[in-house]
Amino acid sequence: MTDTIADARYPRQLFDIRRLGRQIVQRQLWFIAFIALDVLILYAIFTDPILVETWNFIVPGISVTIQITLWSFFFATIVGLLTALARISKNALLYNLSTFYVELFRGLPLLVIILIFSFVITPALIDVIASIPALDDFLQQLAGIAPDRIATTALRSRDVEETARITFAFALTYGAFMSEVFRAGIESIGRGQMEAARSLGMSYVQAMRYIILPQALRNVLPAMANNFVLLLKDTSLASAIAVPEISQLTRQYSSNRFRYPQGLLVLSFLYANLTIVMSMGVYWLEARLQADKQES
Amino acid sequence: MADDPKPIISIRNVYKHFRNVTALKQVDLDIYHGEVVVIIGPSGSGKSTLLRCINRLETIDEGDVWVDGIQVNQPGTNINRVREEVGMVFQQFNLFPNLTVLQNIMLAQRIVRKRNEHEATQVARALLDKVGIPEKADVFPSKLSGGQQQRVAIARALAMNPKIMLFDEPTSALDPEMIKEVLDVMLALAKEGMTMVVVTHEMGFARAAANRVIFMDQGEKIEDSTPADLFDHPKTERCRQFLSKILAH
Repeated sequence: MTDTIADARYPRQLFDIRRLGRQIVQRQLWFIAFIALDVLILYAIFTDPILVETWNFIVPGISVTIQITLWSFFFATIVGLLTALARISKNALLYNLSTFYVELFRGLPLLVIILIFSFVITPALIDVIASIPALDDFLQQLAGIAPDRIATTALRSRDVEETARITFAFALTYGAFMSEVFRAGIESIGRGQMEAARSLGMSYVQAMRYIILPQALRNVLPAMANNFVLLLKDTSLASAIAVPEISQLTRQYSSNRFRYPQGLLVLSFLYANLTIVMSMGVYWLEARLQADKQES
Repeated sequence: MADDPKPIISIRNVYKHFRNVTALKQVDLDIYHGEVVVIIGPSGSGKSTLLRCINRLETIDEGDVWVDGIQVNQPGTNINRVREEVGMVFQQFNLFPNLTVLQNIMLAQRIVRKRNEHEATQVARALLDKVGIPEKADVFPSKLSGGQQQRVAIARALAMNPKIMLFDEPTSALDPEMIKEVLDVMLALAKEGMTMVVVTHEMGFARAAANRVIFMDQGEKIEDSTPADLFDHPKTERCRQFLSKILAH
């Protein structure tokens, strides 16, 4: 309402400063406040020797955090897509298996899944592998152990890195979440699309590949990005099995030197900035898809 | 059609149930090469269902459907082989919104008919000429009017060089001023000798193009005769009533 009055009084300019200003105050103030706080914290950190030390101890963990996030997300996407296809399948075995998996993993806390994978499943798997000498040798060769040093049943639990165990746990948990996202995306595409594709002689797989999935994936891109942000934050749970990511390093540093405020300040700063970049990406993606939809 | 004694579509004693509703009841129908058959009837009479049984978008519970010598309702039949030869046009067009008009017409040619890019493009452009919208080749379907979308859908089906074309109420979702442009394309197709099965409420089209008109009601085939006979001298009371309702004004 006020917009039209203002427009009548002030002739429209190419660059309407008032309008731009109002828009920023209404919609972007939170972001400006966020950046300001960022600058303030960075200033505080780099003018204080103790905080610099804290920073230097924790920041190397970022690469581990990002690595776990990316690998887990990559596998979770594959697992999620395959599970979604199985869940919409008419095949009873595929449907029941995939539903069992999804319900199980959605029903367990992530922390519990991480502990199970780390302390139960990995050692058990190692035992199984060790009981098959040929497979054991092969895996050791694959791991780059020199042939003359290969011993049967030499592969031990500790040879499997914590990051690998955690990636399994995350990939399967988020695979279960994301299968629901993909399933909803596929089901959002009208039945007519599948019928049209099939009526042209395409097989079910071809129709999925060329018609249904491209549209479905486009629709769920924002939801996928959202899951990515959630996953990034959940990697902090990896500290439970001492994976040297930023939460673990913070705990280590803070308890050794009894500097909890400093450690947690740096840690929060890092998480908030990592996720805000992602969230901006999600906003941008949503806006672009909206624009695309209006255009095409 | 006396010159070709073997029907290209043969529907024998077909039954179909949806839960406790009988959608098709003891339907027999033979369609010969080059025939244009129009199916009319009140809504819920099973005419669309019957059409969709021909390319197995609906399965049947009893009876047999043969298309071009292949038994469609047998589980072992490779239905994709049948569908390559049977084009279908839907009430809601069902164009692929993620592809341009040209890509819509090319995709199945490429991956089902295995034509090369050049050939598929040529076929697609020729068909766009034929349906009268060559200038729309590179736009997305959402930019087209309903009539234009339906003409693209017809071109997409024709690109497979089908032996039979099925039309499921192709003009029912269109604004009145766009119906003619779609019917014109269909009329031209009928004149070329295409075998067509058309479910429609367009009685003008039925009179102009059909060799036979089928009247269905409550899943049963009630009448099957030439358009002139059926429209002017309906044999049954049900058909008379239906015609009087739709031709009253």
